[in-house]
Amino acid sequence: MTANRTGRTAGRIPGFRRHAAWLLVSPLLVFFIIFFVIPVGLLFVSSFNPQIIGQVGITSELTLDNYSRFFSRSNYMAAAGRSVLLAGVVSLVTLIIAYPMAFVIAKTEHPGRNTILLIIVLAAMQLDMVIRLYGMMVILGDNGLINQALRLVGLIHAETSARLMYNFGGVVAGLVQFALPFMILTLVGVIRRIDPSLEEAARSLGATRWRAFIRVILPASMPGILAGSLLVFALSISSYIVPALMGGFRVGVLPIHIFQQVAESARFQFGASIALILFLLSAGAVLVYLHVGSRRSGGLA
Amino acid sequence: MGRKIPLLVLVLAIAGFCYMLFPIVVVVLAGLTAGEFLTFPPQGLSLRWVVAFLQSDKYLSAFFFSFRLALMTMIVATIIGTAAALFLSRTRFVGRAAMRAFFLSPVVLPGVVVGFALFAFYISTGSSISRTIWGLWIGHILYSTPYVIGTVGAALAAFDISLEEAARSLGSSPWRAFRRVTLPNIGHGIQAGSIFAFIVSFGQFEVSLFLSAPNSEPLPIAMYNSLRYQFDPSAAAAGIFAITLVTASVLLTNRLVNIRRLLERQHA
Repeated sequence: MTANRTGRTAGRIPGFRRHAAWLLVSPLLVFFIIFFVIPVGLLFVSSFNPQIIGQVGITSELTLDNYSRFFSRSNYMAAAGRSVLLAGVVSLVTLIIAYPMAFVIAKTEHPGRNTILLIIVLAAMQLDMVIRLYGMMVILGDNGLINQALRLVGLIHAETSARLMYNFGGVVAGLVQFALPFMILTLVGVIRRIDPSLEEAARSLGATRWRAFIRVILPASMPGILAGSLLVFALSISSYIVPALMGGFRVGVLPIHIFQQVAESARFQFGASIALILFLLSAGAVLVYLHVGSRRSGGLA
Repeated sequence: MGRKIPLLVLVLAIAGFCYMLFPIVVVVLAGLTAGEFLTFPPQGLSLRWVVAFLQSDKYLSAFFFSFRLALMTMIVATIIGTAAALFLSRTRFVGRAAMRAFFLSPVVLPGVVVGFALFAFYISTGSSISRTIWGLWIGHILYSTPYVIGTVGAALAAFDISLEEAARSLGSSPWRAFRRVTLPNIGHGIQAGSIFAFIVSFGQFEVSLFLSAPNSEPLPIAMYNSLRYQFDPSAAAAGIFAITLVTASVLLTNRLVNIRRLLERQHA
């Protein structure tokens, strides 16, 4: 034993200890297999079972009926297209709003101020989405703060209101609110790692600060931009609560259809087929994200 | 501070922070308004809705239900998440990166799909835990453990394993070396991870949607159900308590670990 120990390299666990180390991960591994892999797997199998209202369990009868229903009905195809479009628009808008914020955080060198900014972002990220949406609805609703202010200054008539939510734009505004902290945290790490001498070189060659920003810093942050956009895409295509509250069920995206099929119509198999399609769209974005961004993004984001 | 930052970028960043924080300020004001509804200009402050929240059966019981669920989730997520983070930091096994990604994946995968899958799983296996706190507990552990792994993993990355090996070579048992050397060094990381697990569970909506029943509703579900029909200022008052809880937790996390390092750590 003693002789064995001296030949050890840092972090390596020799002999039977290597197997003992698996005991550390086995509780979580078993938990994830029983309560994540198997339920999701069974759900996907059930999406290939014939649709029987109220029936939950798996049967041996296999069919593609649920998928042909999905791909032949224009409202479901429209929902899939709307989901992808929504997630794409949200990624772009979030990027445009988050980039200056991340840039300021990354360039704030004072450690105390920097920590305060990060605490604000982290608190916003951790705060319950329903609470943040309550605030958004009070601001954007038909009798919300903006409409009241518009009436007060006479821009719209007393009895009318500007439609700021319960439409596509309202859902985008809510999803951007949801996704901002994730995008900011992904970008801050990348911007901070850009070598400052690159910018100095551009400046010493006569570039204005703005030009150096556009031509040097922005291209150098492309890996973070790509990773953050994919992350936001996956997060926003998956959200139920934001389209439900900000869209008022008038913006039919895939998560809304899943809930309606399952909770309102008890069509479990058809709901499962929409769930598989949503899962693949989200997981596809995550896989590309892991491929392009795993070594560049933050620890929690 | 502003020296390196173009003015336009600074102005846009301030506007972005306002966009991110304004709805939260509005919730606080809505919970403290003297009127029936938050108006512009505001009608003055009062504690009537805070009192209404404290006397309401619906929100107060949902608040404590969420609190209990988050505590239960925190305990399990911290233990199994810390153990898994220890394994991931010490193994050289080839599937390590894929395993880490697998454990972190619930953060970004659709919670509605996972909640639906668990709901169907409970029913089809004939277990009686669907629509109880136990069924919710399982879903919340899936969504909270990734944050423990991320936070404890960051603490382990900063810890020099040769310290533990030194203790071992001086004759300590593996458990004793871990308890006396490693644990004190990563203890703050574990505490921070457990706080994250608590808050994530406390605010969890998507995975709870299919798993809650009317008599056992977590706070986000209760608030959602009332928001669909009307703006109840006592829901905003409940929100004030949740905002306070989250802010206090993040400030506490900042005392425990270096937030800058935690958020900007490169993956090993």
